[in-house]
Order: sequence, then C-alpha cells, then structure tokens
Amino acid sequence: MSYQGQWMTQDSPATNNPGLFKRNPPIAGEAEAIEAAKNGDPEAFAKLYNLHKRRVYTLCLRMLGNVSAAEDMTQNAFLHLFRKLGSFRGESAFSTWLHRLTVNLVLMQLRKNGLNLVSLEETINPSDDDAPKRDFGSRDQVLAGSVDRVALERAVAALPPGYRMVFVLHDVEGYEHNEIAAMLGCSTGNSKSQLHKARLRLRELLRNPAQSPQPTQQPAFPESAK
Amino acid sequence: MTLPGNIDFNSLKPEEFEHILPDLFAGSSGKLSQDPRLQKFLAANPDCATLVRDLEIIAETARSLFHPVADPSDRVWENIQAKLQEDSALAPIDDDYIDPAKGID
Repeated sequence: MSYQGQWMTQDSPATNNPGLFKRNPPIAGEAEAIEAAKNGDPEAFAKLYNLHKRRVYTLCLRMLGNVSAAEDMTQNAFLHLFRKLGSFRGESAFSTWLHRLTVNLVLMQLRKNGLNLVSLEETINPSDDDAPKRDFGSRDQVLAGSVDRVALERAVAALPPGYRMVFVLHDVEGYEHNEIAAMLGCSTGNSKSQLHKARLRLRELLRNPAQSPQPTQQPAFPESAK
Repeated sequence: MTLPGNIDFNSLKPEEFEHILPDLFAGSSGKLSQDPRLQKFLAANPDCATLVRDLEIIAETARSLFHPVADPSDRVWENIQAKLQEDSALAPIDDDYIDPAKGID
C-alpha cells in the first residue's frame, strides 16, 4: 500500500479538522515562494526550506528519536518536496501537506527497518520487559502536578518505536485516532490502545528518569527490528 | 475497542476501569478526571484517580511539544543542494541572497 500516494491524491483530513488546520496558518510570502519553486526557482525553494526546516526536523526527531536519522529524514523530505511540489494544489495548507509528506516518509522508513504496520498489536508491542506495568502506582510516586517538558522529550525518545509513533501523532501533532489508523493500517481501537500503553510507559519513565537515555544515545530502531 | 454502553459506573471495579480507560480517554477531550460519571469511582479509588491525573498531565504537556524547538545542522541543506545539483534539477544558488543555515526568523 502506498501511503504517500494516498495522502497526495486525497483531500487532506486537515480540511475536515479545523483544529489541525488552525495550527498551520498561511505564512507571508509562502504562496509566492511555492509558485516560484514549482517553476524551478532555487531561491524560492531555499525560502521554503528556511520556513519549514525546523518544523520538519522536529517532527522527524520526535518520531525517530535520533538526531542523525532525523537529519537524514529531513533531507529526504525536502528532496521529495522538490520532486512533488508540482502536485501541490493548495487544497490544504502547505505546511499541512508537507507535514503529511514527512509523516509518510517516516512511516515508510520504519517499515523498511522492519516495523510491520499491518498488525501493530503483534509487531510493535515491546517485550514483556518493556511493556508498561499494569499497576496503578502508589500515591507517593505521582507526577506532582506537572511534567518537565525536557524530561518528557527525553522519555518520548526512549519509547519503543510503535508507542512513540502513535503518541507523537496523537498527543503532540493532534491527529485523531481514525486518521492514525488510516496512516498505520490498523483499527482505531488499536490506535487508542497503543496510545494508552505509550502514556503508561511514559508515566513509568517520568517516575524513574534513570530509565530514559539521552536522546542522542537512543537508536532509531531496536536491534531486533533491523 | 469501544466503550460498552451498559457500564454501571457506580459499581465499577478498578480492573474494569483499567480495561475501559483507553476508550474513556479517547472520548474525554483530555479532562477525564472531571467526567461526572466517574467522580464517585475516583473518590473511592485514589490510585485510579492518581493514574488518571498523571496521564492527563502527560497529554497536556505533550501538546506543548507541538512547537518546533530544534534546527537541523547546516549539513542537511548542504546535502540537499548537492543532491539537487547532482541531479541537475536545481541550478547553483547565489551565496548572497539567503543563507539557509541562518534561517529567516
């Protein structure tokens, strides 16, 4: 199944999702740069890179949990952008369209690395050692009413790839479960379940920070998935 | 997984609560701890209330991560330029119009 083709030819769900669309307002000068870049203007393409490099890179970094892999994916995303730009028809915000393109590329990369998206429950579930504990936790181990943003970033990077992907797409990027299910080829129930397990695992990691490695030390994929 | 329609929230057990929690969260807009149906149960099961609050905090903090925080290294743009020029798809760019590595904001 070609996810890229799917997203490139269908109306973006963002057009049916005002919340997501509002998060991607038009950027001054962007429309002109898009048209010029479509005609091969290198300055315009550089401007698009400057406008969106941070957003694309951050998305890649969060989904892959690894600086080197995120930079490679950012490069790949903009090369794809250059080749696909002519098919952008302005039916959704450009940033939304580029975001979809990037997500699709990350998912394709994950599949290449052995992450089977057909059956999330069977293939992405971590080993028993990594699975979130089912205890409710004692009250002396609560998160004290807040979570440090940096600590959460670090914990997200330490999640197994399947958990991380669903968590980032839903809780960070604002996708709905039905959208995630369509992207990953799973049921909405599976998406809900994976998100819940991801949050439980994050809770453990935040209560025991020593379990969270530095993001730069975290491999993009577990050895068993290569 | 969908939330059964015949749940008796007044006699809910913690194990049952854990089982339906993903669906409860999915339908809660992030404020499950304020769901009127659950007030009695959460008051009687403080560990479940703690779990709900912790998961709400994680989801709330996650939303703050939406805004991008990091730039790729200069190497990324250099590689993009090199690849495009290699493919003869893009002419060399004059150095003096924009320095992509510096950003625009």
